[in-house]
Amino acid sequence: MVILRTSSLFLALRCSPPPSLRSSPFSLNPNPLFHRLSSSFRCHRAMSGQRTVADVLMGAARAAAKKNTKKPSTATTTTSSAPVPSDPQPEDAAPPPKKPKTLDGTAHSDPEPKNSILELKKKGHDFNPKAAASWKDGEPVPFLFLARALDLISNESGRIAITDIICNVFRTVIATTPGDLLPTVYLSANKIAPPHEGIELGIGDASIVRALAEAYGRKEEHVKKQLKELGDLGLVAKASRSSQMTMRKPQPLTIARVFDTFRAIAKESGKDSQDKKRTHIKGLLVAATDCEPQYIIRLLQSKMRIGLAEKTVLVALGQAVVYAEKPKVASEQVQSSLEEAGKIIKQVYSVLPVYDKIVPSLLHVGVGKLQEVCDFSLGVPVGPMLAKPTKAVSEILDKFQGMEFTCEYKYDGERAQIHYMEDGSVEIYSRNAERNTGKYPDVVNYVSRFKKPSVKSFVLDCEIVAYDREKMKILPFQVLSTRARKGVILSDIKVAVCTYAFDILYIDGQPLLKEQLKVRREHLYRSFEEVPGEFKFATTITSNDLEEIQKFLETAVNSSCEGLIIKTLDKDATYEPSKRSNNWLKLKKDYMDCIGDSLDLVPIAAFHGRGKRTGVYGSFLLACYDEQNEEYQSICSIGTGFSESQLEECSKSLRNKVIPKPKPYYRYADTMNPDVWFEPAEVWEVKAADLSISPVHRAASGIVDPNKGISLRFPRLQRVRDDKTPDQATTSEQVAEMYRAQKINHTNNQDDDEDD
Amino acid sequence: MFEVRLVQGSVLKKVVEAIRELVTDANFDCSSTGLSLQAMDSSHVALVALLLRSDGFEHFRCDRNVSMGMNLANVSKILRTAGNDDIITLKADDDGDVLTFMFESPNQDRISDIEMKLMDIKSEHLGIPDAEYEAVVKMPSQEFLRICKDLSNIGDTVVISVTKEGVKFSTRGDIGNANIVCRQNTTVDKPEDSTTIQMKEPVSLMFALRYMNSFTKATSLSSSVTISMSSDLPIVVEYKIADMGYLRFYLAPKIEDDEDQA
Repeated sequence: MVILRTSSLFLALRCSPPPSLRSSPFSLNPNPLFHRLSSSFRCHRAMSGQRTVADVLMGAARAAAKKNTKKPSTATTTTSSAPVPSDPQPEDAAPPPKKPKTLDGTAHSDPEPKNSILELKKKGHDFNPKAAASWKDGEPVPFLFLARALDLISNESGRIAITDIICNVFRTVIATTPGDLLPTVYLSANKIAPPHEGIELGIGDASIVRALAEAYGRKEEHVKKQLKELGDLGLVAKASRSSQMTMRKPQPLTIARVFDTFRAIAKESGKDSQDKKRTHIKGLLVAATDCEPQYIIRLLQSKMRIGLAEKTVLVALGQAVVYAEKPKVASEQVQSSLEEAGKIIKQVYSVLPVYDKIVPSLLHVGVGKLQEVCDFSLGVPVGPMLAKPTKAVSEILDKFQGMEFTCEYKYDGERAQIHYMEDGSVEIYSRNAERNTGKYPDVVNYVSRFKKPSVKSFVLDCEIVAYDREKMKILPFQVLSTRARKGVILSDIKVAVCTYAFDILYIDGQPLLKEQLKVRREHLYRSFEEVPGEFKFATTITSNDLEEIQKFLETAVNSSCEGLIIKTLDKDATYEPSKRSNNWLKLKKDYMDCIGDSLDLVPIAAFHGRGKRTGVYGSFLLACYDEQNEEYQSICSIGTGFSESQLEECSKSLRNKVIPKPKPYYRYADTMNPDVWFEPAEVWEVKAADLSISPVHRAASGIVDPNKGISLRFPRLQRVRDDKTPDQATTSEQVAEMYRAQKINHTNNQDDDEDD
Repeated sequence: MFEVRLVQGSVLKKVVEAIRELVTDANFDCSSTGLSLQAMDSSHVALVALLLRSDGFEHFRCDRNVSMGMNLANVSKILRTAGNDDIITLKADDDGDVLTFMFESPNQDRISDIEMKLMDIKSEHLGIPDAEYEAVVKMPSQEFLRICKDLSNIGDTVVISVTKEGVKFSTRGDIGNANIVCRQNTTVDKPEDSTTIQMKEPVSLMFALRYMNSFTKATSLSSSVTISMSSDLPIVVEYKIADMGYLRFYLAPKIEDDEDQA
């Protein structure tokens, strides 16, 4: 009923009375503006046969808001009585079919594009790229195509099936509109630019909530409420039914437009930038249909959560190019070429993580010659090589039996890749390939002092460590982390640093990645000079004597290092970017004797779960018991070590213990904002890797440090202790003792992955 | 060649100030009949239509139809340098990508000209026919401004209902409900203070106040405002520009919020 009125409103608005015109509104109207509209209308009808007039102008939102699927089709019949000229015009040939009722995601009415999407699930050799495409060659690829494919992937769990789908997506794009391959790859990988360019979307959830509310004419509170129920903004977007009608449904989104808008969002800065970003997001949301809103939001949040890892994207990209190669690869060789291609792309991406270079080269020269065109380049950071953890010196001897290897101090600082360009400029990149130059202007300054004058360009792999110049002593990471993150001014530096170099990847125009460590080291020692307190080579010994290594480890720990890194020297000793390789092993104090005793702690608060953990608590705030003051002091948040059923059980039993306000005898940081508080009721046994001083947690505060408490690193749940009551939990005094018993006392990065 | 000269330059200033909050970029379309603009806001909920007829200009020359894309924030910056009494002249070459603004003070002792780069804007143009509306309300623009402002302190949507009694603006918010009724009133000294209602059928529609408040930025253009409504059609809020044309705002209605029940 409502929709019927909507459609008549459309006619009234677009094709003015007298009614005689209505029977043939388009052909009679000389107005070119009308013509444009009508032609697009015509082609939509031709495409899907489902597109309602109501969708074209005003009321699309209303159509979308109505769950009942019958009503729009009534509208279709009403309006299709208007004769539709049949001569299609080239310029309006085939915008992708857009479906009328989509925002609620309940109805998928037109079967045709669904089939073409199902085509994507076919195995490589059966797949026909043209059959999957709903657009014509050379036309921009609709975003809906990618969104549907992502939706398909979210329902798959097998790596191979996912690779096939995304590979087929790439093949379709290559076969029709190769120019859109780059944005397609970027969006699939959920990136907008190479990491070292430091381009970030910079959108918080709050902004997205506001954009959703404004775009769909909803109230922010409703959006927030729904977010709590669904736990994921993507799903909120999908479920958002608009209460605001629109003047005219915008053009369907294309992949290129979505990607360009993302980059535009990233570029907005300065005054009112959040408003401008929101305007961009609104523009996308208003035009989005079907499952598009969900994936737009997830892409914006950089949280796809559909099991599409970047590695998979790379492999699929390689395979897609193999399939597209001309002449066709002989069928018996296909399998091996596919595997080969996956490897090549991964390798190339590890040395040149820049899709803007890889994708065009791929299209241009194919996979075979890719390595010749795309190689390590100065100024483009590669992911640092990583080390595998080991527990004991003996394990190392086992692994490196019969090989020459070397041991280096594992410094406790920040990994840095220093690029020195021929024009004398210096860039410092972090472990995640982010530009860190602004954080270390002092290091930039030192470069000219520690490099020998003959050196024109280089890339160094090193660790930047906080350093006490007076005592000539390395300071713990904790001190380094007090430095500002960017825009550090030379004269304001309070924390001096020393750079410990241990590897070199490039010198004077020559990449060294493929050289053995022995050769690289020679280059390193030959090209640089130690400067006391500013630049040093990592301390190292070459030995295969167990005792000697053990002793070396102890000296390392005593000189405030984390442990040792053990590397092969001669054989299998090339630099493997961003790989956690078996050729580098790390031996850390933490791994060797992770605090033996477990702790018994009390959950006092929790955070709502998101994503997979919607409906249960996502993490809990644990506390130890202070006998002296009879209070519970927060010690860590815990979210790991739970099985799904365990988590459910814990959430269920604690749900009865929820209290509206924290008890007066809870000690926690004001910055902590848990979603719910509990009565002290349960005791959980928790293991942890390490204890460290924390500005956030309050355990044993005043015992070890006057203001700061102690927290656990990497806590994981062992079991629920039914046999203990909360006041029998581990006491603050015990926590303090455990802390003192540790040999090295330092705070570390939050994540083990981040500290090698 | 495009060259137009507007004696009452303040009109242009007011127009740009009135719409720049709603639309960031827009195409000014020039033809021999006049200067027009049509643009939608980013959410495609509201539409602005401006017409300045050629006969309202002191001098109007437009050899060829041109469409000039501008960023309204930039236009506003430039127009703010003009005095309220200044005579404004706009000039552009047929194939140029700059528009020149020239401001002359009334006694000709100060002349400034500013060039602005034009931009390419892809815009979707809608044909808007003149429809017969079920209800047309004409009221003092100041009164409308006040109503919108007052109601937005209480709620964020407004229901506008036209009945024989008059026109009722109502809103609901957390603190309570508000209704303002304006009756037909033609017995005033000045015609622009009158409120007239022409109604064929009662109409009641709901709108987001945020947009209404944005429309009222045009209040200074005209002492009265005309509001036209039909069920399920966008509302039209029109400010006449004396002797020249109009500035119209179209706004799509909101559907009853069913979230309250959800």
